Amino acid sequence: MGEFSVMRKTASFGCLIAGLILMIWGLAMAIGKTGNTLRGGALVVGAVLFFAGLYLFPTFKHHRTIVNIIFLFPLLFAFAVTVIIPLVLGIGYSFTDWNGIKMKGFVGMANYTRMFKQPGFIWSILITFLFVVFNIILVNLVAFLLALLCTSKIKGLGFFRAAYFLPNLIGGIVLGYIWQFIFSNVITKFTTALFDARYSMLSETKTAFIGIVIVYVWQYAGYIMLIYITGLNTIPGDVLEASSIDGANATQTLFNIKIPMIAPTITICTFLTLTSAFKQFDVNLALTNGTGSVADFMGNYLTNGTEMLALNIYSTAVINNEYAFGEAKAVLFFIILAVVSIVQVRISNKREVEL
Amino acid sequence: MKRKALALLLTMSTLAMTITGCAGAAAATAGADQNPGTEVSDDSQDAGTEDAAAPAGGTTIRLVNNKAEIDVGLHSLAKAYEEKTGITVEIDSIGGGQDTQAVLKNYYQAGNMPDIFVFEGDTHYETWKDVLTDLTGEAWTEDTEAEYVNGGKVYGFPTTTEAIGLTYNKAILDKAGIDPKSITGPESMRAAFEKLDSMKDELGLTSVVGYYTEAANLWWTAGQHLLGTYLDVGLARDDTTYIDLINDGGKLDMERAKPWAEMVALFNEYTDDNGVSGTYDDQIANFAAGKYAFVTQGSWIGAAMTGNYADQYAAAGNFEVGMIPYAFIEGQDTIQTNSPNWWGLYNEGNVEEAKAFIQWCSENDGGQEILAKECGCVSPFTSSTHMPEDPFAATISDYTAAGKTSAWHWQGWKEGLAQNVSAVIFQDFAKGSFKSTDEFLETLSKAIEAYYAQ
Repeated sequence: MGEFSVMRKTASFGCLIAGLILMIWGLAMAIGKTGNTLRGGALVVGAVLFFAGLYLFPTFKHHRTIVNIIFLFPLLFAFAVTVIIPLVLGIGYSFTDWNGIKMKGFVGMANYTRMFKQPGFIWSILITFLFVVFNIILVNLVAFLLALLCTSKIKGLGFFRAAYFLPNLIGGIVLGYIWQFIFSNVITKFTTALFDARYSMLSETKTAFIGIVIVYVWQYAGYIMLIYITGLNTIPGDVLEASSIDGANATQTLFNIKIPMIAPTITICTFLTLTSAFKQFDVNLALTNGTGSVADFMGNYLTNGTEMLALNIYSTAVINNEYAFGEAKAVLFFIILAVVSIVQVRISNKREVEL
Repeated sequence: MKRKALALLLTMSTLAMTITGCAGAAAATAGADQNPGTEVSDDSQDAGTEDAAAPAGGTTIRLVNNKAEIDVGLHSLAKAYEEKTGITVEIDSIGGGQDTQAVLKNYYQAGNMPDIFVFEGDTHYETWKDVLTDLTGEAWTEDTEAEYVNGGKVYGFPTTTEAIGLTYNKAILDKAGIDPKSITGPESMRAAFEKLDSMKDELGLTSVVGYYTEAANLWWTAGQHLLGTYLDVGLARDDTTYIDLINDGGKLDMERAKPWAEMVALFNEYTDDNGVSGTYDDQIANFAAGKYAFVTQGSWIGAAMTGNYADQYAAAGNFEVGMIPYAFIEGQDTIQTNSPNWWGLYNEGNVEEAKAFIQWCSENDGGQEILAKECGCVSPFTSSTHMPEDPFAATISDYTAAGKTSAWHWQGWKEGLAQNVSAVIFQDFAKGSFKSTDEFLETLSKAIEAYYAQ
């Protein structure tokens, strides 16, 4: 490619080489723990020089590709650092006996076989699935009803929308503590007076589970409601008008016009509630911290009656100090989530096409 | 050409920004921690940079503390030391419900390990044993019995003394005509409880004992401390019979556990219904307000009673408090005292400077005065003459002087046992889920065994 000037070529190769050298030097200092404060600067200047060299690279054919790569790089880099690398490292750690500090060696599949011998963990999986089922139904039902209410012609619509959405703006931990107070102090007063149930519903596994479901629906329904409202508002007016001219009543309009018309919205909402319910952690932690007893499960007296998967993983790693074992559980969690999500999206997409 | 130059400039600046962000953070982690979730005091950050500039200079030592409430006191301790020796001590307090050990692990991974850090007993020792400095033979070890020893070697510096016993409100016991010293075993304890219960209205009591079993947040009081009394009450400080037994696959000695469970049943009988779901604040506030004659909390509540609940405490007459042993077998006459945590020295840090600093901290005319007066520490050092202004300070020193103390060993059982297992069973027992103390004990021992097995 004779069209490029010597200067351009020198600049390009010079930049590339200088950049590489600087980056390697900076990294070497960081890894070697020399404490030299120039290391960060060297790395940054090196990287900038390297990309400058790449941009000036004497080619016409690949120039566009290079520019694309340079623009994509920040995103890919961030994605790799925050998602890909931890995922790979995590899977790696799950085969070891790492305790957060040191690693004595590889243990093969031992962590994976061990977790299925823990009745508490199996209980966590079951209860998580149960929670997911409850939530998909309840959150969507409540959210859809609220959305219908908030698209009707009642007064103070804006106020209602804001009020239903508000719980979603409060963090799960705070919500958990607020509701813990409500369940333990307020509701217990009523149950004591009415049924002579003197103890908080949070101290009994079944009722505590209901408590978590209530709080979660209360928190999440407002958010899903907003999506349903958007969906309902996109239904073309002429369709609704035509149906009313044809003499359809409100129920017929709802089931034969509105619901089929917002099928894509329903897909999105089930997907959102499904994954977020699976990953439920903060309300669980703040409200019951996983406590609750199960008298006889696989011959054991369980004490983690309300502990869902995410919390079980956290407590394995952080409370019990078994980081590698927690990692192994997290890998299983990842697989479950991935499979469920893929299946769910597949099914929903098919249904949309049919409609 | 102009457009090209512009494009180039834009690309460069985008890149520079991204990479500076990352590289800057990397550099910062190595120097001073800027973990957003961590409460790092201001000065530790500037000083961290100095540290990075002169890694082996040895003029700065960094201490990680896990009690946010003594942060201010430790800062004045550091200041006093700096004035005396010119060595800067940075205090890095991790508090507000954060898991100190998890943060320390992050520090370790980031190559940002402090020179002095807190750890709590055997399970934490297992984690850190490769990086802890052997402190055997240091001058201060002659002056205390509360240092952390493992395998015959000293690894931890004790900071304070806390006590676990059945805490009582002396004013109420006096009014009811009960001498706390007369409670020496299960019969006298039951008699005292019955008498108090019959005089509840007269004494203004909600219940005789404030025994709380809420398991989500208060798991440590019943699940850990009360189960811990089974391990140690009445035994010599170095007696590890029952902790060894529990660590041998989770076994309980039924002969000792049976009377202990009877005591738990007694508490269930005379406690407040609110104990099943109440909070730590409820428990302390009610005790400070004189609504309970006894409370199942240790000496650490003194700070809360004179701090957060000073109003209730004053309204109840700033009554005298004391402790009786959890005497579940006649004749058990010790309360449990221990250093709740120890300072360990990182063996790749500034070991010599850190050793000199803790030595100074242990000295009566050194750091002891500030530790007692500003941090409220009850000194574990025999030569110390400084006493904190704490309602329990006198109790602790009386029992210590009389030699009537046992250690506590629950820090040595399998991690998470209290939080994951025992706390919930205590709660169930308090709710009446078990028909008898035998059923309670059987469930407890089976659950502990299962926990050790998995």
